[in-house]
Amino acid sequence: MARYGMALDYKSCINCKACESACKEENGILLGADKHRIWVGVPEMEGIFPNLSIGSSSYAPSQCQQCDNAPCQEVCPTNATYYDDNGVVRVNPEQCILCTYCMQACPYDARYIDDRTMTVDKCNFCSDTRLINGETTTACQATCPTKVRIFGDLDDPNSEISQVLRDREHYSLKTHLGTKPKLYYLT
Amino acid sequence: MKTEISRRRFLQGSAALTVVAVSGAATALIEKEEHDKVASFGLRKTQWSDKLTEVPTLCEMCVNKCAAIARVEDGVITKLNPNPLFPKSRNMLCARGNAGIQALEDPDRLKYPLIRVGKRGEGKFKRVTWDEAYEHIKNKMVKILDEEKDNRSTIGYCAGEGMAEHTYVSFMQDKIGSSNFVNHATICLTTTIAGYTLTLGGYGQADLENAEYVIMAGANRAEAIVTPDTMDMFKRTKGRGAKLVVIDPRFTNTASHADKWLPIEVGTDLAFVLALTHVAISEGLYNKKFTQENMSDFEAYKKHILDKNYTPEWAEKITGIKANEIREVARDFMAHAPRSIYYQGRRTAWSFQDFQVRRAQAIFTAMGGGVDKKGGILFGKKLELGKHEIPSPSYFNAEPRIEKDKAAVVGTSGSWIAWRNTIIDGTAPYPVRAFFAYKQNPMLSVPNTSKTRQMLEKMDLVVVIDTMPSDTVMMADVVLPESHYLEREDPVKTFGGSEPSIALRKKVVDAKYDTKPVIEMMRELGEKLAKPLFEISKKYDEELQELIEDAQDEGGEEKVYKQEGYDLAEGYKHSQETINHHMVTSVYGEEAWKTLREKGIFYPDMDKYFKKKSVNTYQYYPEHKKSYSVIKGELDVEPYHDTCVDTKEIGVLKKEFRTATSKIACALYNLEKKKGVDAMPTWREELYTPTPQGRFRFITGRHGQFTQSGTSNNALLLDLMDENYLWINKRVAQEKGINFGDNIEVKSSIGAIQIKAYPTEKIGPNVVFFIHGFGAESSELTLAHHKGANDNMIIEDHYEKSFGSAAMHETIVDIRRV
Repeated sequence: MARYGMALDYKSCINCKACESACKEENGILLGADKHRIWVGVPEMEGIFPNLSIGSSSYAPSQCQQCDNAPCQEVCPTNATYYDDNGVVRVNPEQCILCTYCMQACPYDARYIDDRTMTVDKCNFCSDTRLINGETTTACQATCPTKVRIFGDLDDPNSEISQVLRDREHYSLKTHLGTKPKLYYLT
Repeated sequence: MKTEISRRRFLQGSAALTVVAVSGAATALIEKEEHDKVASFGLRKTQWSDKLTEVPTLCEMCVNKCAAIARVEDGVITKLNPNPLFPKSRNMLCARGNAGIQALEDPDRLKYPLIRVGKRGEGKFKRVTWDEAYEHIKNKMVKILDEEKDNRSTIGYCAGEGMAEHTYVSFMQDKIGSSNFVNHATICLTTTIAGYTLTLGGYGQADLENAEYVIMAGANRAEAIVTPDTMDMFKRTKGRGAKLVVIDPRFTNTASHADKWLPIEVGTDLAFVLALTHVAISEGLYNKKFTQENMSDFEAYKKHILDKNYTPEWAEKITGIKANEIREVARDFMAHAPRSIYYQGRRTAWSFQDFQVRRAQAIFTAMGGGVDKKGGILFGKKLELGKHEIPSPSYFNAEPRIEKDKAAVVGTSGSWIAWRNTIIDGTAPYPVRAFFAYKQNPMLSVPNTSKTRQMLEKMDLVVVIDTMPSDTVMMADVVLPESHYLEREDPVKTFGGSEPSIALRKKVVDAKYDTKPVIEMMRELGEKLAKPLFEISKKYDEELQELIEDAQDEGGEEKVYKQEGYDLAEGYKHSQETINHHMVTSVYGEEAWKTLREKGIFYPDMDKYFKKKSVNTYQYYPEHKKSYSVIKGELDVEPYHDTCVDTKEIGVLKKEFRTATSKIACALYNLEKKKGVDAMPTWREELYTPTPQGRFRFITGRHGQFTQSGTSNNALLLDLMDENYLWINKRVAQEKGINFGDNIEVKSSIGAIQIKAYPTEKIGPNVVFFIHGFGAESSELTLAHHKGANDNMIIEDHYEKSFGSAAMHETIVDIRRV
């Protein structure tokens, strides 16, 4: 039993999409532009050539925020979306009826339809591909060239993620919605 | 920070890639057997079966050779993960590294040897056995060499960078005996290698882990990934230890990490560097002790810079960069020196003045003292490997290369453009009648595609070795399919630098198709060619005739054949594994070999030094064991620790032109005297053409998810970006009524292409850009076929006259919406 979360040193992101590729290979994600579990947000560039705002061009690596209070879980009529023992928000394909309420409810736009399994799928921190087999990292963290991601157990005070969150300033996305995300952006 | 989490798939449009089994959509010109079509594009979820094994190997999706661990389940690779043990790749695999599985599983791969049956370029082939393919090559070569009276140089050949490149080149160069070799260097990094080597004594390694101030000009390390530079740099930008100044006409992903981005007029970098130098000299900011002790002719250089009046105000008019910005950069650079680097760059085939740009950069870095010092440009150490000697015959009738006089210095790897043009313009002193290509796709990679086509059409024999049916494969007479990098063992490789190591590309899975590694091809082709070609030499080679006569009493012909290396298969007879075993154990012993095979990486004391520091970071060497400063006394270093350049060639270059080999050379008087190349970096107005009003300068570049044209058919990578787009300034686009996705014709003096528009403020009003590698014509590439545009259809075939390196950014284009 753990409570998994992820800290993102987003300033190191170079938008190389290694994470997205590794995720797809690891989890056998269906190809197609909108079929993905993780992505890198690219904000619109501010300014006019040659006076561009470098600060506006930071990349925003993102994915399911693994909320402690997940709206997608709350609205799921069949309990296909559930919390597993490690606090990871998971989807049971057997129970999913493709009603897409979860897609509407998620404020982070983190769910997509997998046409093969007929499931509204999402990131599950590689629970069924890596963690279950004793790996301690997600595919995206392992592969990242500039090491943006730190994955670990938030309940373990000695874990690196716990230490980093104690030592460094960070924020989470749309916290005002009360979702209690477990993704932390380090500043 | 304002965080916009946008799921808009930027630059990918809404067109989702259709990923289906290979259908009849592409006309199958290569006769395919039905079962081939069963294979399909797509990803496979890890199953973690009981039969799981993990095999260390090295990636070949680009030139970096990052260490990977392949997860193999029931003989199938389900995931490639980074191997944390390799200092160079620092525990990472990029998008392309992850997509290696898709390259392996690509249903379009070349699966067996082919011989052309239709007209050349028509793409009609028949499947043949390996022996039939070799027999065909033999018959053609015997005829050609007989007619050319054993002038071996009538066989031209090219190679792309790769771990097996040397195996192929040694066969063509040393065994077949041709001088007409061209490789990627002159369409890539010749000018920067030559510039840094002739100035500092070596190209070196920028210590981006410790530098405090870095100028990256044109180099785009966030997208054109180089290991370990990319990882070291971007963990420390944005106020976290290293200041980064990006000089680039485009706002790249690298620029988004910059403290300062200065868009420059294309082709004016030399003026910028000279002005920085002027500031450092006139304000006395340089390292006086270092320049005095380590640099030759520095006083002459100072005088040169001041006499020429290369002031920031002068440079502003040329470069478009404000004089005060130039002053600030020069002052900041010197304030942080010696931990300041003017980054060397790699693909520096831009303009006519590229060599002098790199010379000026190297000298400017040295003026701060950042050479052979932590945080500067390092030379490091290299772990020697045992030798694998290949005896080579000398052919009396083999002529020197055809384009040797087309540039001041044409090395053994030639000048691609000059060489090709010499063949088609009729100025060659003798005909080049056969052409071999290994792992290079000149139809897409060399400026002016139609001239490359003309060159290939002139040949009596075209042989192409590759894994994919590229546009160049389509022009072949004989196609020899190479095994994929995950299906073969390659020559063991040593990686120098501050943290040196040895790495091995081990075979992960058995070859899926009737393909072979290069060493086997060379062995079998050698066996086929040796005797017939020896007969031709006997007929025409007077020296050989004499040798045989002299040896009459002691075995005669048979003895000469053996002793002089005419057995062409010799040197390729052992398996790669056997050769690697010898190269490692002869220096480091059996234990090292065992470690290398089990872990993929070896260096002395790895077991003691290697430590996990955190979930993401590792120690390879303790700080005091890193090779930061290696020069004791005189500056004379290993030429280059990289795979892209022939160290022998660089050795010759240094010997011939570095007047004071023990010091950093501000002036190369020998080069000026012998070859007419400016001894000191000098701005040449006549070599620069400003972009005319209302027209555009075309520039090309690399991308983080694609490696030239080599990855253009990769399903996973195309899922990230499905084609290339034309960057055009937003306001200019607006004036012309061009919107995102509109089809645009881009026309130069040599051709026109069509491509979709991407209006953006990230590029200036007089420049347009799209990435290289797209626009394949080959109908056998199901996903790449006619996707995006091929830049070399419009890039004019200019080359600079010092080293014959392509000048890819000297093309002016016009655009219109179609």
